[in-house]
Amino acid sequence: MLVAGAAALSFVSCDEFEPVFTGKYAEPEATRTYTKAEIEAEGIEFISIGELKQMYYDNGSMPLNIKEDIAVAGQVTTSDEEGNFYRSFYIQDETSGIEIKIGLTGLYNEYKLGQWVYVKLNGLTLGDYHGSLQVGYEDFTGEYETAYMGVRFLVEAHVLKGEPGQPLSPIEITADRMTDEELIGKYVVIRDVTYTNTLFCLAYVDPNLNHKDQSNRIFLDEDNKKAWGVITWAMSDTKFEEYLDAGNFDTATTGDNAHTVAELRAQGRIGTTAYSVTQYFEADGQTVGVRTSGYSKFSDHEILKEVRDGSATVDFTGILTLYDDEPQITLIDETGIHVNNDEV
Amino acid sequence: MYRKLLAILFAAIFAFPAFAQENKGGVEGTVVNRNGRVPVPDAAITLYRGETVVQQSQAGSDGYFSFGNLPDGIYRMTVESPGFERSVVNVTVEGFMKDLMFVSLVATEALAIDIDDSNFAEFDMIDSGYDDAPSIIYGNDVYSNIAGYGFSQIRFRQRGYDSRTQDVYLSGVRLNDALTGYTPWSLWSGLNEATRNKEIENGLDMSGYGVGGYNGVTNIFATPSTMRKGYRFSVLTNSAFYRLRLMGSYATGEMDNGWSFAVNVSARIGGNDWVEGMYYRAFAYYLGAEKNWYDTHRLSLAIFGSPVQRGAQNGSTQEVYDLVGSNYYNSNWGYQNGKVRNARVRNNHEPVAVLKYSWTPDDRLGLDVTAIYRTGRNGYSALDWYDAPDPRPDYYRNLPSYFYNPESNMSNRDDPYLAGWAEEAWIYNYNNTQHINWDRLYNVNRNNIDAEYDPELKRSKYIQEERRTDQNDLNLNAQVKYRFDRWFTLKGGVNYRLNRTQYYKIVKDLLGGDYYVNIDQFAERDFAMEEEKIQNDLQYYLINGHAEMLQKGDRYGYDYTANVHDARLWADLDFEHGNWKAYLAAQGGYNTFWRFGNVQKGLFPDNSYGKSDVAGFFTWRAKAGATYINGPHRVWANVGYYNDAPYFASSFVSPRTRNSLTPNLTTEKTFSADLSYAFNKNGYSVRVTGFYSNISDQTDLMSFYDDSQNSFTNFAMTGIGQRHAGVELGFKVPVPVQGLSVVGALNWGDYIYTTTPHVIQTVDNNGEIVMDATVPYWKAHNIYQKDAAGNYVTDASGEYVVSKVQKHYVPSTPQIAASLGLDYSFNYLFAGIELQYFDKMYLDMNPLYRTDMAVMGPDVRWTPEEEEYMAAQERFPHAFVLSANIGKSWYIQRKYNIGFSLEVRNILNNRSVKTGGYEQTRLIDSEDFTRYYRFDSRYFYMVGVNYMLNIYFRF
Repeated sequence: MLVAGAAALSFVSCDEFEPVFTGKYAEPEATRTYTKAEIEAEGIEFISIGELKQMYYDNGSMPLNIKEDIAVAGQVTTSDEEGNFYRSFYIQDETSGIEIKIGLTGLYNEYKLGQWVYVKLNGLTLGDYHGSLQVGYEDFTGEYETAYMGVRFLVEAHVLKGEPGQPLSPIEITADRMTDEELIGKYVVIRDVTYTNTLFCLAYVDPNLNHKDQSNRIFLDEDNKKAWGVITWAMSDTKFEEYLDAGNFDTATTGDNAHTVAELRAQGRIGTTAYSVTQYFEADGQTVGVRTSGYSKFSDHEILKEVRDGSATVDFTGILTLYDDEPQITLIDETGIHVNNDEV
Repeated sequence: MYRKLLAILFAAIFAFPAFAQENKGGVEGTVVNRNGRVPVPDAAITLYRGETVVQQSQAGSDGYFSFGNLPDGIYRMTVESPGFERSVVNVTVEGFMKDLMFVSLVATEALAIDIDDSNFAEFDMIDSGYDDAPSIIYGNDVYSNIAGYGFSQIRFRQRGYDSRTQDVYLSGVRLNDALTGYTPWSLWSGLNEATRNKEIENGLDMSGYGVGGYNGVTNIFATPSTMRKGYRFSVLTNSAFYRLRLMGSYATGEMDNGWSFAVNVSARIGGNDWVEGMYYRAFAYYLGAEKNWYDTHRLSLAIFGSPVQRGAQNGSTQEVYDLVGSNYYNSNWGYQNGKVRNARVRNNHEPVAVLKYSWTPDDRLGLDVTAIYRTGRNGYSALDWYDAPDPRPDYYRNLPSYFYNPESNMSNRDDPYLAGWAEEAWIYNYNNTQHINWDRLYNVNRNNIDAEYDPELKRSKYIQEERRTDQNDLNLNAQVKYRFDRWFTLKGGVNYRLNRTQYYKIVKDLLGGDYYVNIDQFAERDFAMEEEKIQNDLQYYLINGHAEMLQKGDRYGYDYTANVHDARLWADLDFEHGNWKAYLAAQGGYNTFWRFGNVQKGLFPDNSYGKSDVAGFFTWRAKAGATYINGPHRVWANVGYYNDAPYFASSFVSPRTRNSLTPNLTTEKTFSADLSYAFNKNGYSVRVTGFYSNISDQTDLMSFYDDSQNSFTNFAMTGIGQRHAGVELGFKVPVPVQGLSVVGALNWGDYIYTTTPHVIQTVDNNGEIVMDATVPYWKAHNIYQKDAAGNYVTDASGEYVVSKVQKHYVPSTPQIAASLGLDYSFNYLFAGIELQYFDKMYLDMNPLYRTDMAVMGPDVRWTPEEEEYMAAQERFPHAFVLSANIGKSWYIQRKYNIGFSLEVRNILNNRSVKTGGYEQTRLIDSEDFTRYYRFDSRYFYMVGVNYMLNIYFRF
């Protein structure tokens, strides 16, 4: 019996038993970080973000698939925790800032504000999106100039984590500098802007159907010069439904002008979803849009009454972007909104 | 006083010669299983004088037989019963009724293979919404001897029925789980010796412990006096489930002082050769004591338990299996500091105590009173995460198919280069793509400071949770048996069950962090602004101003108690005379249950804390049957009708979050009938059965995590109906070589869905009802006619022409299962080889794909292609499996028995046999917005060639 038992035990490898018996797992080590020197040792040359952006214009303002062994180094300036940024982050060095289209969610868990990041550019694509440059992967469909990287292995092969760092302070800018190429993509603060009571939002009759179909589109656009009663920064699904049911959008029409929202709403044909909204502010005659995603956690926060009635100005801190020649600020979270009223 | 004695003496002396002259001799006795004194019913007994058959009889259902009016002399008596070795006994008749007491039969179970729940891989199905409850079929006749163990590797279900319908009794008390109805095998997992003695009935056959169901009754005696006296030890190693099993038992048998004691312990440890991450760390114990007073009163107490830890296996899509190069890939584990760590581990310890009192003042009356109490903990761990990337390696966004699909109309799957990167990462396992990256999870946790809760402590984003179902189950049972007439026996009983189960989850491991926060992250996506709505424990929040910062061991998420009360009263009238037996039985009862929420959920503040509405149902059932026995022939039939209450676990729309009962709850109604014929003589054995059942008004609840809704979503289905019909055949035919027989079994079934059920879909983070509709394509879908060019044909009125109505089948079991083999058994050497064939196996369906919404697509237009694509049910290819076994037993000094058995299954190493799986419940959009696409299904495969070697020693 004992012999049999011993023989049976010999079939077993100890590996199989250990965690089973002890139930104890040793704590893993810290994740590996890289240094600039290590990367340069591979024969990769670092350029500045400003130089990188110039490469796009030198390419005739066409998407550029980078084949050289170059890299950029920058610190992370955005976080997707609040949901206003999604699947990407911005990095910034002294020269400029640029969006890296990672394509994964929950990035703030691993890339904290101020984190040094080294992006090996060979194999990635540099492209433009309505006036702002981005680094991503080649877009096979050709619909956009760059695609999100999306595959973790691809990301980890190109985007390397350096040392953690301190979150950067925003750069003070004035309205006249908002279209400067070197500031686009950087973390800035613009002060004393006033609300124009206008906004832009593109909604759909049925969000599940074709977004490009004019009959399915509802423009809440600035031509009508009003805010449509949308007093929040953006609209979540439930918030949109609230405004819709209150009749805020009734006078809007579909993109082909065939129907009004009032008509379609009466027929129960309007589906609801969250919508991004660009609220327009102005400073020194320059319009600046504050674009907020409907999926962000603060989308349903109201714009303070004093702001809406013009009695208070706002300081915005966020990433400066350009959308079709129009400067925009994208907030990271609500701390980026500072209302200049007497209660500071 | 002396006068009386003298009178008796005279009478006796004078009577005696008369007896001798009138052939007043006879023999009587009880046929029992040698393995404990368990009666063997209906054994065929033949008395020979030389070569002449003098008398033939059938033992009763209690094993009792008697032959009377025999002339004095020596007779040869043969006793046969299917599943046992033929026994031959010489009997001397001496003018009086000789009581042989017990005539023992030895089971022909050559393998001593113990089939218990550890013969089945633990499948991780909980988050899928589907059920995984394999059936265990014990053999008691020529069909189930083969089908029971032989078909277990393909997870065969007897007659296609859910395992809930299989009644499992312990000491005469039905012990199926009070909340789900599932068979309770795991309670005595590893106690093969203590539970070896059982009575088994198939189909609708009666058991003597109640009316019974329609899918068999297995009653495990579990009292010490039924355990075979002596010591038994065994060492077992196998390559499919656990590396090593050590088992020991000792039973005193019934001693002269009336006491019996028994003890059984075992350990099952280790992994296996096929599925990484699946492992056992299981122990089991049984202790029993029993006292018998004058064969009239019997009292026994048994306490047993199985503390088990086992790692689960997940099913993946075929894409993943192909990338990894193995159908046994398990996505539940990853390396932590180089060691395999499985995220999904069962950790159970649910001890049971059985107290039984029997009173048998004479052979006509019997009373049993039994109390069974079950308690303990049942935990199943899993990963939980908050606002962080999904840690599961085979999450669909990590797969190549998320980036590219050759079907160009599939939305956003157009980049073959990104797919290529993903494919390479999977094939070569770069950066641990194939497994859970425990190291990354720890690092994320360590680097996460959330000043909103604490400026210094680390807030975990990933933890390991453990979901608990802790039961307190009390069963009180009393049963009477009274043979009030030579022909009639009346049995009756009453049963009361009280169950109170706590459902909750705890933080099992903080994975390197200091605390986890008790909020509903699914609710947070929609109600980020409304702090109250995202609370799992609203009362804590209102008192403390924030959600709880959880430590290891703290309860969180959900916390509710299930209360089930069930009372039954039954009666059974048995008739037995000559060649006929018949019975009529009925049961009535009341079943009631409710949920009690122990936390107030922010999303449902008015409907989560406290007592829910109470659901109550009158339950009843009735059964009747008859048997005719003539020599070796036996014909019997049963018919029954059942009206059963739905189970707690399927009766609430979203039991984790609120007290809402599923609307339109009703009892499940079943009509069932079977007809059988059996023949047993001279080593030939045949049994054939035809069966039919119609089940209606079934209720089911499936809960899935749907990340397109960012929440758990629930499908509460009502009005499900099924029809099962088929034939079972088992045979054993001796061959002119001594000890050799041809054995075979066949199950030919047709189990289909018969109704259009109703489904209510809710989403956990939202009180609203997402869908309240019928499932029109559940029971069938149409195949439409096409012309030679492949276009659909329309008729004169413009309707598409239906070429066939494709039925949908009951899944997760082969509806056709066949086995053919050779069995050799001679002189304690056993060997066998069998070839099995399985076919008509179907994949578990999800209701979503069979609703109008999914079939018609976002444009709400039906097309025949959409119906044929979306509603189709996958059928698995047929499979052949070859297995063989050998064993030998030696007796040393007539007392010590040592032996071994070796079995090799799936000798042909067939690694493409699907044993089950499920459809995923997500839809993929199309570029042209006209239709949806399905997600890939997930599968489980039968392991390839595997062996089991058992060495045992008994004395």
